[in-house]
Amino acid sequence: MDWGYINARIRGMKSRLLDHRTLDNLILQPDMDSLIAELEKTAYREDLIEAKGKYTGVTAVEYALRNNFVRTFRKVLDFSKEKEARLYISIFLHRWDVQNIKTILRGKNIHVTNEEIVDCLVPVGELDEATLTELVRQPDVKAVIDLLATWDIRWARPLTTAFPEFAKSGDLGMLECALDRFYYNDALQAVSAKGADNAKIRQVLSLEVDVVNIKTILRMVRDRIAPEDAQKFLLEGGQALDEKMIARVLVLPTIAEAAAMLSTTWYPTLHPTRYRFLATIPEDVLRAQKISVIEKQLERHLVREGVDSFLGDPLSVASLIGYFWAKYNEITNIRIISRCKTADFPVENLREELVYV
Amino acid sequence: MVGWEVPIGAAIAFSFGAIGTGWAQSRIGAAGAGAIAEKPETAGTIIILEAIPETLVILGFVVASMIILMVK
Repeated sequence: MDWGYINARIRGMKSRLLDHRTLDNLILQPDMDSLIAELEKTAYREDLIEAKGKYTGVTAVEYALRNNFVRTFRKVLDFSKEKEARLYISIFLHRWDVQNIKTILRGKNIHVTNEEIVDCLVPVGELDEATLTELVRQPDVKAVIDLLATWDIRWARPLTTAFPEFAKSGDLGMLECALDRFYYNDALQAVSAKGADNAKIRQVLSLEVDVVNIKTILRMVRDRIAPEDAQKFLLEGGQALDEKMIARVLVLPTIAEAAAMLSTTWYPTLHPTRYRFLATIPEDVLRAQKISVIEKQLERHLVREGVDSFLGDPLSVASLIGYFWAKYNEITNIRIISRCKTADFPVENLREELVYV
Repeated sequence: MVGWEVPIGAAIAFSFGAIGTGWAQSRIGAAGAGAIAEKPETAGTIIILEAIPETLVILGFVVASMIILMVK
């Protein structure tokens, strides 16, 4: 496959991502209006102008960011004509389908208004805006799953299978876990053939599975969930954690011990893993069982590993993966800045919240 | 008297240069089209980059000419 064209376009788009200086400049803006004015000098101008016609303040920024994200990845999909490239892109975009379905199910489960649900959707995947809007119109969780099944949309399969358990327990986590498991299994299956590009995608997906599993394990340790129930919540396809390791971590009494164990390997000798940063998390955070801090570190690790793909072979899927993570990270950073500006968060602390790549 | 090996040698010199140029230009062309689509201001540089492999076919042509003219 010839990656030359796609790679050149991706690198051209990457050059328009915000650099450190621009991000610092956004941080230093005194209020929301000046932040929007500053953002209008960047590639977000078009989206912000459209958003300001409908909303104001932080809502306008969020709307613009969402539109920009959707537009950007629709564009990437449009200029990638080859079947293989489209497969890789759709693997990344399908996670937004999963995310959108989870958002709708969560909204329906806690009876949020349709407008609020629609505002949280990012129609960048296979499910377009019209499909998602129709799903949002359904009265409850069951009706959403039934409609997905009627339209023969792939995400209906795991939901239909997991629904009886949800109906019994009322725990939406069952449906969400089933969706995640289906997504990762499906994606890993799609790239199971030989080849450097498939191997790269498998590596990225495995890393994500590991991160999701580590988060789940830490929560299970905190909430003292029985190790026998682990298989219900953990995903398959990771590389860092095998069954023995998971069993060892789950019986530990505290998060601090679990984090320490996850940061080293046991065989053949104790040495740091790629999650060695878990051992550097301050003791007071671990003692207070603040999982959100650990989760943030894991997210940062995922973003950094993803963006580092830019250093890989330019004539491969690597630059595409790098751009996906870089764009995702940029939008997350701008969202953090805009939210913090609304809440008058101190500038010094705001820098720590961002991920610079 | 010139044998069959002279035109064959010239043909090899020219054709491999032409094939190499074609391959290189196709790769540069694809990447260049992508670069111009995102950043039209790079068009001048891309045209120069696209022309660089031409030297290869010119070299092949010169070698082929030399074979024909100088081998007697």
